[in-house]
Amino acid sequence: MKNIIEIQNLTKTYGSLTAVDNLSFKVKEGELFAFLGVNGAGKSTTINIMCSALAKDSGSVIINGNNIDTDSDKVKNDIGVVFQSSVLDKSLTVLDNLQSRGALYSLHGKELRQRIDEVARLLDFSDLLKRTVGKLSGGQRRRIDVARALLHKPKILILDEPTTGLDPQTRSLLWKVISNLQKSENMTVFLTTHYMEEAADADYVVILDGGKISADGTPYELKTKWARDTLTLYGVDTESVEGLGIPFERLGDGYKLYVSSPHETKTIVIENGFDDFELAKGKMDDVFLAVTGRELLGGDGK
Amino acid sequence: MTTLLSMTRRNIKLFFHDKGLFFTSLITPLILLVLYVSFLGNVYKDSIMAFFPEGITVSERIVDSVAVGQLISSILSVSCVTVAFCSNMLMVQDKVTGAALDIAVTPVKRAYLSLSYYIATYVSTSIICITATLVCLAYANAMNSYIGFREAVLLLSDVLILAMLGTAVSSIINFFLSSQGQISAVGSMVSSTYGFVSGAYMPISQFSPVLQKIISLLPGTYGTSLMRNHAIASTLDVMEAEGIPTEIVEAIRDGFDLNIYFFGNRVGVGGMYAVLLLTVLLLIVIYVVINCTCKKVRK
Repeated sequence: MKNIIEIQNLTKTYGSLTAVDNLSFKVKEGELFAFLGVNGAGKSTTINIMCSALAKDSGSVIINGNNIDTDSDKVKNDIGVVFQSSVLDKSLTVLDNLQSRGALYSLHGKELRQRIDEVARLLDFSDLLKRTVGKLSGGQRRRIDVARALLHKPKILILDEPTTGLDPQTRSLLWKVISNLQKSENMTVFLTTHYMEEAADADYVVILDGGKISADGTPYELKTKWARDTLTLYGVDTESVEGLGIPFERLGDGYKLYVSSPHETKTIVIENGFDDFELAKGKMDDVFLAVTGRELLGGDGK
Repeated sequence: MTTLLSMTRRNIKLFFHDKGLFFTSLITPLILLVLYVSFLGNVYKDSIMAFFPEGITVSERIVDSVAVGQLISSILSVSCVTVAFCSNMLMVQDKVTGAALDIAVTPVKRAYLSLSYYIATYVSTSIICITATLVCLAYANAMNSYIGFREAVLLLSDVLILAMLGTAVSSIINFFLSSQGQISAVGSMVSSTYGFVSGAYMPISQFSPVLQKIISLLPGTYGTSLMRNHAIASTLDVMEAEGIPTEIVEAIRDGFDLNIYFFGNRVGVGGMYAVLLLTVLLLIVIYVVINCTCKKVRK
């Protein structure tokens, strides 16, 4: 798989604040790439630079083989962006919004109308086309935001906290559509999110802190390196668990132990003859906490 | 071109969807008309009578007609610029709502985008100012003024030209603004000063010679003078036909800025058109260039 995004030594400062600090990473074509970090970590700044909407101080950004410094129009045609909050015109109808935004990609007339109908069917909002955007619910508006980003059939879809504050049904619909597009169109998805369960499904994860990469890898690699597995033992007494010499905590009917590897789990279970147990891999929340020392709060708590 | 039309249509729709903005912009010139008629009508008449020495009589209709001409030319010349500042908020609103960023991530040409804001503001400003002009002309007709069909058409064309100027100036200034508060502050500053510096509130001839020279450098001055010519000249023709001495008529032309001087040289009506149109063209070029140069938006 070729690299569709290549960022080398990217730096952006605002006065004395370094928002992005010598950042380098690559994204492979067709993958779901999760870009994580607390607020102010530099995620949105990086995205705005990638979209050519913000000037960088130094470094290079190559998108689908095009340099943003010399071929920004080509880069913009390859990218669709769903911003953190809806940026559509609230006093206009959904159709007006999609028509005016489509025109910015030189889509007009029948071609544009067909594409609007296509994304409306895809995201299930054909009945909302004549409705004013400002009168839609948060979930309905988010679907229109995604449709707007998909209008020109981008190769890369950038989702900047796309599901924050959405109901589970809308989140599920959005992810279903995005996953289908990723598979059918080989579309690359560049995701920032506060929901770690979404990041856990990514092909590759980069965790940003203070404008620098703190950790990166596949979710499995990150969990293996940064999070401990938990082993929960049932039907045992406290003395047996104390005898293991591993820190534990009482959890309802069982005992929860933090283990460093599957091998350690195997040894504990076999050597002690435990026959009722549960092994859980470390979570991405634990990874994030371990890497940044901070929790990533979703929704209103962010 | 289709992209430009589509963006312009979007901007116009957004302006007219904001009913508050539309009616506030429309009501401003109408309030000015009421205030002028209520408070300045007699002042204008007295200032006209001051041009006539004892022994020379002039009909009340002529005095009223000159006063009406001065009044509506003042209102309209100020309104074309102040209304443009009121209407030209979308560029800043787009920065506030994030729409500017959404547009910045598209491959649309910055020149098209900036022109779409300009054209949309021009259309909305023109609609409001033409409406105000029609009200003013109705008032002039009710006052039995000598403003005829030809003058009315010329006044309407002046409004269209001055709206271009107002839109161009406001577009350049608003480009650098990023909040509604800044726009309101700038709008207030323009409303309070433009009438003076363009000779709309007070005839330029009443200013000191130094100030007159400075004001003659500002293109808005020629817009006011152009409107004065089209709103008052027909009445002055009637005066001459009724035997009022040419010296008095000429003094009124000078006193009410129908004659305007650039460092001692009289600028004719053709010169006024040239100054205004060339300034509009230059300002539009500057506006498009700064849009294309400062192309990255900061979030």
